[in-house]
Amino acid sequence: MTTFKEKMRLWPQFTLREALLIGFCATFVIITRAGLRLHLHLPGHVMLFTMFFYLLARGCVPKIGSAALVGLLASLASLVLGMGMPGMVFVKYLLPALVIEAALLLFPSSLEGMLACAAVGLIAATSRALVSSGVEWLMGLEEEIILSKALFIAVANGIFGGLGALAVPSVLRVLRKNGLIESTGKR
Amino acid sequence: MNLPLRQKRSSDYACQYLTHDSPLHRLGAGWKIAATTLLSACAVGVRTPEALTLLVLVTLGYYALARLTLYDLWRDLRLVVWQSALIIAAYLALRGAKGLMPGLRTSVQIMVFYLPGAVFLRTTSTRDVMAGLRRIVPYRLSFLLTTSIRFIPFFLREMDEITTAQRLRGARLLPRQQLDPRNWPDLFHCLLLPLMVRALKTAEAVSRSAEARGFGLHRERTYYAPQPESPPSPMAAGAGGMGDPAGRLTKRRELYDDL
Repeated sequence: MTTFKEKMRLWPQFTLREALLIGFCATFVIITRAGLRLHLHLPGHVMLFTMFFYLLARGCVPKIGSAALVGLLASLASLVLGMGMPGMVFVKYLLPALVIEAALLLFPSSLEGMLACAAVGLIAATSRALVSSGVEWLMGLEEEIILSKALFIAVANGIFGGLGALAVPSVLRVLRKNGLIESTGKR
Repeated sequence: MNLPLRQKRSSDYACQYLTHDSPLHRLGAGWKIAATTLLSACAVGVRTPEALTLLVLVTLGYYALARLTLYDLWRDLRLVVWQSALIIAAYLALRGAKGLMPGLRTSVQIMVFYLPGAVFLRTTSTRDVMAGLRRIVPYRLSFLLTTSIRFIPFFLREMDEITTAQRLRGARLLPRQQLDPRNWPDLFHCLLLPLMVRALKTAEAVSRSAEARGFGLHRERTYYAPQPESPPSPMAAGAGGMGDPAGRLTKRRELYDDL
């Protein structure tokens, strides 16, 4: 029989508070994406904050699926707010989130060190280049052109994604030090 | 007839939702998603020039059905046009003059692939998308999505306040200062960290508030759905404001499956 506390949970693995926090991280992804659209016009710059909030959400809610949920919510919100095409938007947001999930499943302590975290951010951001390349491949574009374009996008995404991820461990440390999130050892 | 410039230029940015009375505006979001998927899939599949020409005509017809202007079309395709120019240039560099036709074909295919999605965004309001999503997305996810969107103005206000306060303390948060990557640590530690603290506190408060109201406790859930204003019928008047005195809100009940 399910208890009162269990019923209050949004999903079995997330409490309502955790799920809301993940939702707010998705909100920040959208806000920064819309904000950056106005100021910076550099390829891949979107990944700076996207990776930051994906990894931060995974650090604040250290459970499997938290980054993926941020990706799913960000894609749905993006669709609702008219910031992305149906279909494409899900892959664009979900693919990097799933890469993060896979990386943290294999290396759970990646969020503790700056370099490891940057590496995860870089790999996840790079994976986003596959989306547009996939579409172009389906269109029958020459492989040489797809590869050179994908390489350029992947490098740009990777640099920004890595930089965004670099800031995560120090932010998590500050939040832990002030007792705002539980330290990983307690879980 | 000469239309004023503002009327010709009906949108401010690409894929902006526009309120018109068109058949596509009246069509349900689900049908539009189906049409978008079909047209985009056709764009991926076509290989012959004849089939591509036909698809271009059909897609343009679909676009025109939404009563969108040529200026809107330019807005929607502007980014893809630049991309197409690059693709044609790459083909010309690789194959010489022979590369013009395949480059052109692929460019047109990419444009046709994106255009139905633009039509969907331009003809479907946030409310319609939400209503459509409510049918397919589990209510827990729907609750999270609504909460995320509902809190966008709140966090924008918070961001504005934090930015002002931190700038007064010397943080380099001006947009032109942010163009220099050396100032990005200020952005993360002076703006995004306090914002995250605010998010943690807000999540705590909202979850406690929802729990106090018994969120998720009962299998049968209720919500208020606003109804369009209509003259009150004698029957409704007879029913006499049973928990709905203004006659504008209807209490609906829905059963949901446990996840």
